Amino acid sequence: MPVILEAREVEKTYQMGKVRVSALQGITLQVEKGEFVAIFGPSGSGKSTLLHVLGGLDRPDKGSVYVDGINLSTLNEAKLAEVRLRKIGFIFQFFNLLPRLSALRNVELPLTLADFPEKESIQKATEILELVGLKDRVNHRPTELSGGEQQRVAIARALINDPKIVLADEPTGNLDTTTGWEIVRLMKRLNEEKGQTFVVVTHDQGVAETADRMIYLKDGVIQSVKKGGGGVSL
Amino acid sequence: MRRRQILTVAWANMKQRRLRTSLTTLGVVIGVTAVIALASLGEGFRVTVTQRMEQGFELNVLTIIPGSLFAGLSRERFNDTHVENIRNIESGVEAVTQVMQIGSVTLKSGDKEVRAFVATAVNFTEFVKVFQERFQFESVNGTPEQWINNTIVIGYKVNHPNDTETPFARSGDNINMTFQKLQFLFETRNFTVAGTLQKRGAPGLTNFDYWVFIPLDTAREIYQTNESDLIFVKVSDPDYSEQVADDIEALFPPYKISILVPITFIRQVDYILSLIQLFLTSIASISLLVAGIGIMNITTVSVMERTREIGIMKAIGAKNTTILTMFLAETALIGLLGGIIGVPTGYGLSYLLSYIVSRFTMRQQQDTVFQGPETQQSVITPIFSISWAVGALLFGVLICILFGLYPARKAAKLDPVQALRYE
Repeated sequence: MPVILEAREVEKTYQMGKVRVSALQGITLQVEKGEFVAIFGPSGSGKSTLLHVLGGLDRPDKGSVYVDGINLSTLNEAKLAEVRLRKIGFIFQFFNLLPRLSALRNVELPLTLADFPEKESIQKATEILELVGLKDRVNHRPTELSGGEQQRVAIARALINDPKIVLADEPTGNLDTTTGWEIVRLMKRLNEEKGQTFVVVTHDQGVAETADRMIYLKDGVIQSVKKGGGGVSL
Repeated sequence: MRRRQILTVAWANMKQRRLRTSLTTLGVVIGVTAVIALASLGEGFRVTVTQRMEQGFELNVLTIIPGSLFAGLSRERFNDTHVENIRNIESGVEAVTQVMQIGSVTLKSGDKEVRAFVATAVNFTEFVKVFQERFQFESVNGTPEQWINNTIVIGYKVNHPNDTETPFARSGDNINMTFQKLQFLFETRNFTVAGTLQKRGAPGLTNFDYWVFIPLDTAREIYQTNESDLIFVKVSDPDYSEQVADDIEALFPPYKISILVPITFIRQVDYILSLIQLFLTSIASISLLVAGIGIMNITTVSVMERTREIGIMKAIGAKNTTILTMFLAETALIGLLGGIIGVPTGYGLSYLLSYIVSRFTMRQQQDTVFQGPETQQSVITPIFSISWAVGALLFGVLICILFGLYPARKAAKLDPVQALRYE
């Protein structure tokens, strides 16, 4: 399978007050098309920073990131936004939906940004909401939805532009266990049925073990890479 | 991002914060109202003043007087050749007439006696061509061509001293006129009244109400001279005034004559009034600037509140320009809304002010000296100008965009990761 996402010797340092924190120390990894990869580690291990760098939200101090063959460090702000828009889908721990927009409009937003014709984009958003099981929640605002439903909307939004890769940052972190597993199952289903590539950051080992590959990160260094069980009942 | 969607989102955001939006918009409304009210009143004032001056001045009549203010008023006098030369100017001259000044005279009819301070001798045929509007009177002899020697035309105020009901003389009456022929030598002659002028009033240079007119030929015979003191030139269009004045000046040696060109006065006055109007409007625009600062303030707050939202937008692929446009769309909409409300409010206010002013000045009006038909409407009517309306609207929107620019740029440049972490 072709490599969709690649990090080469990525380093990232933060200035926290007077202390310099080395968040990432020479990370190298590859994600192939159709893979479901978990980045797993304790809090403060640099997982989220890595995800941000992989998704072009943040720039590494050293090293480079390739998304679908494009070296992100060569891109200006506008081009980078374009890559985020067309090649990457983000899912966050706190859902990050726009509170004033309905589920449909939230999902449709990336298409709006991409100047997609309104009629088609509404149709597409409706289809994807149906796919994530929110057929009846289309016109609800985020405040009218449960946490699990909000995360489904976020997943739908991440998928709408047919991204090469979906990056999820603690997608179950703000949900109760049952709902969290429903979200994991949904992502796994999308991975298996549609071949959608996922990179999921989590501190929950149980979630991580459902992945094809588990990358264990600690103190900004990859400690181990294990084959996951993929074992989650769909 | 789709333009319509940007506007929809901006409008939704504004509706979400109704009170804030209303107050910010109110600032713009006040600014635009002030600009429009002052501009339309100023324009009304300018037009009223200019119109009254135009009515008073007879824009198409140039007055040539001997001498020059700066080289000394000489006793240069004019003759038929001068008049002929002026008449022969290639274009723009419609009629020329010369005036011989006789000075003050006393008129007697029976035991009634009146004094006229401005007795003049004119060629009626030519004079009436120049002053068609004002030189109208009832006469027994009909057309001016038939006027003959020893006739006289009497101005209203001379004929009705102290506004008496009964005139001093009527057309066809025979009266005696006593005038100064030489120093210390007075002569009295019998004249037939050819006509009496109606009351005209004229706030301009010449007020015929106080004049009497006798034929030029009669005066020439009395004084044994063909020279005259003034020349009036009627131009075919006031716009030709300056060009004709130049042509006339070229006919005389330098500094021997002065030409009064009414349109240049009026242009000057008009120009000065335009400057005053601009000045007033600029002062009003300050309130729009204040409104702009209000917008800057509120947009800065809004950017802070929506930091996380901006982070989300950027994470899912919004460009900096998209974020910038979103915020500017809001400030522009506020400007547009403020303008749409402010323009009619401004005109409403200016009409209200003009009404109040007219109530105040009504009583004074009745006492003014000149009560000609043209002076009745002296109330300043505000003038609606589509260009001012559109201009104020656009200016309001522009101010809002300009003041929104700084906070909107700040929003656009937010770091997405930082913005997403913002609580």
